[in-house]
Formats: sequence, C-alpha cells, structure tokens
Amino acid sequence: MDIQQKLKILADSAKYDVSCSSSGSNRKNTQGGIGNATLSGICHSWSDDGRCISLLKILYTNECVYDCVYCVNRVTNDIPRASFTPQEVADLTINFYKRNYIEGLFLSSAINKNPDYTMEGLSEVVRILREEYRFNGYIHLKGIPGADEALISKAGKYVDRMSVNIELPSSEGLKLLAPQKKKESILKPMGLINQKIIQSKEEKKQFKGANLFVPAGQSTQLIVGATQDHDYKILTLTEGLYNRYKLKRVYYSAYVPVMNHPKLPQVINPPTVREHRLYQADWLLRFYGFSAGELLDETQPNFDNDFDPKTDWALRNIHLFPIEINRAEYEMLLRVPGIGVRSARRIIAARRVSTISYDGLKNIGVVMKRAQHFITCNGKYHGEVGMKVGLIRQSLLPKPKKTNVPSWQENQLSFLTDLVPYNHNLINSIVLGEL
Amino acid sequence: MIIYLYDGSFEGLLTAIYESYYLKDKPEKIYSKENFQPNLLDDTIYIETDGTKADKVYESIGSKISKNALRNVYHIFLSEHQEAGTMIYNYLRLGWRMGNSVDLNLMDNRVMVVQEICNKVSRERHRMLGLIRFQQLKGDFYYAPIEPDYNIIGLVAPHFVERMGDQNWMIHDKKRNIAAVTFHKQWVLTNIDDKFTPSLGDEEINYQKLWREYFNNISIEERYNPKLQRKNMPSRYWNNLIEK
Repeated sequence: MDIQQKLKILADSAKYDVSCSSSGSNRKNTQGGIGNATLSGICHSWSDDGRCISLLKILYTNECVYDCVYCVNRVTNDIPRASFTPQEVADLTINFYKRNYIEGLFLSSAINKNPDYTMEGLSEVVRILREEYRFNGYIHLKGIPGADEALISKAGKYVDRMSVNIELPSSEGLKLLAPQKKKESILKPMGLINQKIIQSKEEKKQFKGANLFVPAGQSTQLIVGATQDHDYKILTLTEGLYNRYKLKRVYYSAYVPVMNHPKLPQVINPPTVREHRLYQADWLLRFYGFSAGELLDETQPNFDNDFDPKTDWALRNIHLFPIEINRAEYEMLLRVPGIGVRSARRIIAARRVSTISYDGLKNIGVVMKRAQHFITCNGKYHGEVGMKVGLIRQSLLPKPKKTNVPSWQENQLSFLTDLVPYNHNLINSIVLGEL
Repeated sequence: MIIYLYDGSFEGLLTAIYESYYLKDKPEKIYSKENFQPNLLDDTIYIETDGTKADKVYESIGSKISKNALRNVYHIFLSEHQEAGTMIYNYLRLGWRMGNSVDLNLMDNRVMVVQEICNKVSRERHRMLGLIRFQQLKGDFYYAPIEPDYNIIGLVAPHFVERMGDQNWMIHDKKRNIAAVTFHKQWVLTNIDDKFTPSLGDEEINYQKLWREYFNNISIEERYNPKLQRKNMPSRYWNNLIEK
C-alpha cells in the first residue's frame, strides 16, 4: 500500500479526535535541529468543517482488537485497514513541517495486538523524531490505556502533551458500549502522567538541566450524546479532572453517528449546540471562577439551548445585579454576561486612569446586547427593558434561524409553490367565492 | 490646514514628529508623500529625513513612554493605513504627556484607534505564521509567496529563522515586491523582481499531493461548515495555500 493510501485511511480514522491544540509548550530549537513550539500555539489551516488544523493528526494504525460500539475502528466494522511504520510517520511529519503545513504531530492509535505493543510503536516514532531528526516541534501523543507504566513514562520524556481519552463519561456507559475498557485502566495512566509532571517540575526547580516531562500537560476527550449521561454529570466529571488530575484541557465531541447499532441512540445530526454549551461551561470553570454546582444541579441537569450558561446563571441570580462597572471587583466583572476575560482586564486597567463611560464600554469590547441588563455605569442603568427577568429573557432569546436554503433556491421554490395551493380549505373557499 | 509630508520611511515619519516639536508651524496631519492628494487649501511642509533626529524620537518613545508604545507605533506604521502618520503623531503627543500609562487610557479615542489597528496587524502576523506555505525548490531551498494586507514580512521572518534551523528559505511578499531571505541563520529584507518564478524540486509535487489528501480527509462531513472555515481563514489568503 502506498503512503498516500495509508494517509487517506489513517487521517480519516483519526478525525473524530477533537484535540488539535499546539499550545502550552515553549520547547526551544537546538543546535542543528529543526522546529520549536510556540506557547500560544499556531493554527495552520482550517478544514471544511471549520475546525482548525494545527497538527498532523493521524493514527499509527487502525487495526484494532477492541470492539467499542461507538467507534469507527472497532474490530467488527468493515472498513479498509492500514498501518504506518515509525519511519513513515517521522518522514511525513518532518516534510510537512519544513513546508510549514503543520505545527507538529498528534499521533494516536487503535489497539493493535495489545496495549504494550501499540505503545512501543508510538514511542518509537517519537524517539526517531526527537533523537534522529532532532525535531523540536510540538508532539501530542496518545497514552494507551492498559500499557505498561514504564512505556508511558519513556514516551512522556519526548512529547509535549499526552492524552488518555475517557470518551464515555460513566461506568455504565463504558459497560454498555466499550465492554473491554475499564474506568480504572483509563484513570491509572492519567494519574501516572500527572504524578510524573509534578515530579519533573520539582526537579526542574533544583536542576536546570532536568528532563522535561509532558510540559504542555495532559488532556482528555468525552463523547457527548452517545450515552444517556446528562450535562451536569459531564461537567462535574470535568471539574474533578481539572482539580484532581490537573488536566490542561477536557475536549467534548458531539457524537457523530458512524454506524447503526441497537445499543446506540438514533442521532440524525451531531448535537453541536450541546457540545458548544459544554465548552462554554468548561471555560467558565477554568477562567471565570465558576463551579459546576453553580451552573447546573440535579433539578436542572441540562443546559438551556437558547441561553449560554453564564447568561442562564445570571438570570437565575438576578438579585446580584446590576453591578457598577466603575467599582466592581474583577471576579464579579467576569460574571457579567457579555464581559469576557479580556474586557474585564481592560476595564480594570482603564479604570486606573479615568472613569468608564457607557459608550467607552463598547470600545473596550463588551457585548452590550447582553451586558446592558446587568450593569450600571456611573450609577445609571441603561438596560432597555428594566430589571425584569422575563423581559430580559425575551430580549436575549436568539432570533429564529433562517433555513439553510440558498437564496436563489428559495426564490425558485416560492415561484413554484405560488402555483401549488398551501391551504386547501382556503383555496376551496376562494373557489366557492366565500372571500 | 498644515500638513507635514515625509518620504514614506519609518525614519522619515519619526523625523516629522521631531520637527513638529521644533518648527513654528505645528501640523494637523502627517502624510507619506506617496499617497498624498494635494489640496488648494492646505499648506504642506516637506520634512527631509534625518537619521539622528529619528533616533532621538525612537529613544525617547522607549524611555519616556514605554517599550509597548514603541511596538504600537511600529505596528501602526506597518499597517500602511492612510492616516497612520497622523494617528501616530496624536498618540505620541498624548504619550509624552501621560508617560507609560497612556495605553491604559482606553476612553481616549487616540489610544483606542491605535490599539485597534495594532490588533489587526498582530492578528495578521499571527495568522501568517500558520498560513505561510513553503515550497521546496531545486537545490534544497524553500520559497513561500504571501500577499498580506499589512506589511508584516519583517514581523514573521524572525519566527522562521528561529524555527527552521539550517533550512534556507525566502518569503516573498508579492504585493509589495519585497522578500525576506535567509542564509545561514541570518535574514535580510530585499527588493525582488515581480517576475521571479521558482522552479520546484523533485519531491515537492508529491508532498503537496499528500497534504491535500490529508486536508480532504480530516474534515468531518456531518459537520460541514464553510462559513466557519472562511471566518477563520479568509478566502483572500487562499491563493497561496496548497490545500485550497
């Protein structure tokens, strides 16, 4: 099989992994080496689904021994199979990198033969890249659940980020859809990586030359909508992962129906709005000082389709508002719908030299459509509908979506439908002369 | 209205700002002579570029205002905005009055407008770090054509010097007929003939094919979203992308 054929198959199999970030590491280039990592990360392209392409995201192999119901690569699925050799992956990475197509490599894999065998193959790829090609660009490697600790530790010395995907947010989900995976086998490597990261940071403080271990931290992914788990469950799991395992990121993947199976829900479109709401909530946890329990609870376990989590929270806690822009603390500014981290910081900065005017807020970047209902500016309240939850809710409701039909088609349709009666009763009444 | 004209160089602009403090007639606007349309009612004064005067202004921005202000001023200059000279002049006058807190003064339009344009320039620079596509030419030399909105070639070159190690490359701004060329980890900015046509190396076509193959397969069909794609990667950049 030629390399193009392999690339086609193994990119196609890897596309459901959401993570593509290349941030968090500032690995430097070395003498005679190639590449470095940029702390903020760099996107190199955007694919037709609008997602960013930062890394060469491929599977090492898609020949899998597992039979996870939600996954395209499961052993019982009839799809073309392929495997790279370590050399092939390394060559592709280097040549794409030299042309500035990519920021580095994101290598994942199906479980070929057994976890140890697979992890060894992945390790070999990153070893060739780092040691033979002296590649210093970004590498994100998948940790294989159930692989030997020593193998994972070895690979961790070469890479910038490592991730172990949880995929299904509950044990029941795992039992139903991925019977060969256990909660423990997923959490164990996460714990190991976390512990090694802490250890290497400590060593770094004492010896300058100490080895890096996964400097960009670890991440994971949860599938949304393949099981019955509600948003509150997913969000508390996320919170736990950030607090206990010090994860850098949790990714959410709206479940794309890759096959029909009696155990899987019937989904026509991937639940992208739900995925979006989870990402918004995720940001609220990490940068806005919210906790999962504030956003959702047992009585309201799912996010509202029409309102973002912060607006929803603010409407339920209207007694805390309005707040005065010129006096409120940073923590409270962050909780105002329409004010993000950047505008909150700019408000704090601008307040040091002058008072902030209502018009000035727009310039700062505050989304006034939302923020106007929750703030006062120099004591004056500018909200158009007053502090009434029902009215605010009404005015923030998203406009009904236009259909996705191109305009020319719309015209053509209406031209045809002009001839066809919409409402038979009406037409009858016209015919009968009742109008 | 009194208008200062300068020769279009950064030094020229800084000289004009220097003179605005010492000449009797204070300018209301400062323009580059290249894109200036004379008007009967205006008095224009042409300012001769002077390296030492420009250096003094440069020094003074860094020490009396801030390093950040220096960066802002240079970014505005690179934006090639029609009003760039005037904006910089107004911003600096305020800056020398306020010192390093000038950038906090977001309620002032002179500061706001500077930050807005600066952000645009930085955003394009960052975008270009990802969107530049090198092609391997005969003789293991890498060539990348670009057509950015702003004159950001000097801002992206250092990134690639650091990153590409021993690789020799050239980034060619086809809009402005200038190029950043590197050789042995040094880089220079030179003018370049717009008829320059590269001849590709043997492996190049193959890797371009592989990249397109990857690009087409990494997208999830069920989530097809060309609007989002265009928002992130505006179509004016597609000319020089291999995958588009």
